[in-house]
Amino acid sequence: MSLTEHQRRPWRTPSVLPGFGVTFGFSMFWLGLIVLIPLAGIFTWAASLGFSDFFSILADPRILEALKLSFGGALIGAFVNTLVGPVVAWVLVRYEFYGRGIVDAVIDLPFALPTAVAGLALAALYAPNGWLGAPLADAGIKVIFTPLGVIIALTFIGLPFVVRTLQPVLADLEPEIEEAAATLGATRWQTIRKILLPALLPTLLTGFALAFARAVGEYGSVIFIAGNLPYKSEIAPLLIIIKLEEFNYPAATAIAAIMLVMSFLILLIVNLLQGWARRSTGYAG
Amino acid sequence: MASVGVNDKSAPIRIEVKDLRKSFGAFAALDGVSFTVQPGELLALLGPSGSGKTTLLRAIAGLSPAEEGTIHFNDEEATTLSLRERRVGFVFQHYALFRHMTVFDNIAFGLRVRPRRERPAESEITQRARRLLEFVQLGGLEKRFPAQLSGGQRQRVALARALAIEPNLLLLDEPFGALDAKVRKELRAWLKDVHRETGLTTLFVTHDQEEALELADRVVIMRNGRIEQIGTPSEVYEEPATHFVCEFLGNVSKFDCTIRDGEAEVAGSLFPVSEDNGLNGPGVAYVRPHEFEIVIDEHGEGLPATVKSVRPFGPTVSVELELAGREGPIEIAVPRELIGLGDVQPHRTVHIRATAARIFAAG
Repeated sequence: MSLTEHQRRPWRTPSVLPGFGVTFGFSMFWLGLIVLIPLAGIFTWAASLGFSDFFSILADPRILEALKLSFGGALIGAFVNTLVGPVVAWVLVRYEFYGRGIVDAVIDLPFALPTAVAGLALAALYAPNGWLGAPLADAGIKVIFTPLGVIIALTFIGLPFVVRTLQPVLADLEPEIEEAAATLGATRWQTIRKILLPALLPTLLTGFALAFARAVGEYGSVIFIAGNLPYKSEIAPLLIIIKLEEFNYPAATAIAAIMLVMSFLILLIVNLLQGWARRSTGYAG
Repeated sequence: MASVGVNDKSAPIRIEVKDLRKSFGAFAALDGVSFTVQPGELLALLGPSGSGKTTLLRAIAGLSPAEEGTIHFNDEEATTLSLRERRVGFVFQHYALFRHMTVFDNIAFGLRVRPRRERPAESEITQRARRLLEFVQLGGLEKRFPAQLSGGQRQRVALARALAIEPNLLLLDEPFGALDAKVRKELRAWLKDVHRETGLTTLFVTHDQEEALELADRVVIMRNGRIEQIGTPSEVYEEPATHFVCEFLGNVSKFDCTIRDGEAEVAGSLFPVSEDNGLNGPGVAYVRPHEFEIVIDEHGEGLPATVKSVRPFGPTVSVELELAGREGPIEIAVPRELIGLGDVQPHRTVHIRATAARIFAAG
């Protein structure tokens, strides 16, 4: 009797926040339905291939190049955004200027635009006769139908993730912190390097992870500018579609599975880094 | 100074502020402020919010420069100096500690960011930071992060950090404003010690008149971007220059009166004037709680008043009375032994008499 009572305790303890059981149950059900079951499906299908088949599919140079481009491009794009995003967020948080509301709204465009629209716009812009494409072509830089085009598209769609994660944290950093550094004799650069960046590091990593995750799976805004030349500017999500259209379901599944595993590993690493950054900068709860 | 070794600098500096002006839009935050801070003085900038005291402190620090006027540190014009060159130890109300740095790194920050040729060796930085930690009574906490400290401890760290750069002067902006009453009292006494031991010219901003009067050598009372009065605590308390100062320095009862030949007539009762300033005609008289007497005699002279409450706590008895034809109660403090408590009880009518009053022209 006392034992069962003891066992039941976590569920039965009256709480000031009631409803844990119901909301927890619902969350798990929903996560399972929407996220876990489809993902598990990919692994089941991939597993039905068997190891040797699975790896011989992935050994295809075309698939390897596509994976390299998708992950490499996403990493570079996220990295660029992690450098540029803080500046944009800084301007929006710290300065009052005419048209700030509009600039702030523009940040969300890559979020809100249908990706195909963004893709068309980028392709037109960077085409050899486009506004940016023409001067770049004169300078000997070809953007469209090259990996560079892919990287530009992946940078474009990742920017809001970095800016939006940084904004609230920047707003939270009181200007007095910077003033304190200044009265102590720090130069502006020292203040940025020693005070602001360390304080922002965990959030920067979050923004990086989000921008990366979005870029890895990006499809619509990339395919127009990329031109999708096999071995050169073909991204992995597109290759999945191509394999599906060829009724080559095992290959499509194998690519999907390996993308899933790699994305998961990269996000895991970023999460570990984040934990480390939080601890080493005194932000641990 | 030498005993603690936190400030090995030579003599403390004199600050001379001349005709400082600054406005935010149409609002004049500083409207022609001039005063001099003597070397080694502990000066309070006192005033209600919006009076310009923080703006003044920030102008002296160089954090937000004034639009007009000059500030001299000794004979050097400070308005052209950079923040680094000014070497001002500044303490913020909300500490402004670097959250991602340990207590030790916070304190060492000002030394580590110096240009290489001025920067002390790391061993010396360590030594100095340790000494400062001991000085602010936080020895042993150097590895903590600010989040792991109490408010009072954080403000001590902020002060140690400001002292680490061997400042020319120390400026504190409402340093105890974010702390609870008990810690505030402790730190108040402690700041006085710090000032004595460092010998630094020190200015602090406060809106708490008790804090200003208790701590400072001299008090600058500000209102609407101007200085109302500068003086020692007893000067501003005993001889307020304006009725604003008189009212702002706490607990005072105000009476409309007619001034005649060094006496103020209030509703038929005469209040002797503490300082005859030659005024005549309608005016206002201010009386502090301890400048009243209670007369028990029914036919005694003075203003008739009804006792509302008696609070016999502490060294003096505080009596709250209501006067006919006057809005709001007045408070009187009488020495415990001077009244038979039996006679002063709620609802009884007594007479009160002022022993001194400060008078100002009406208006």
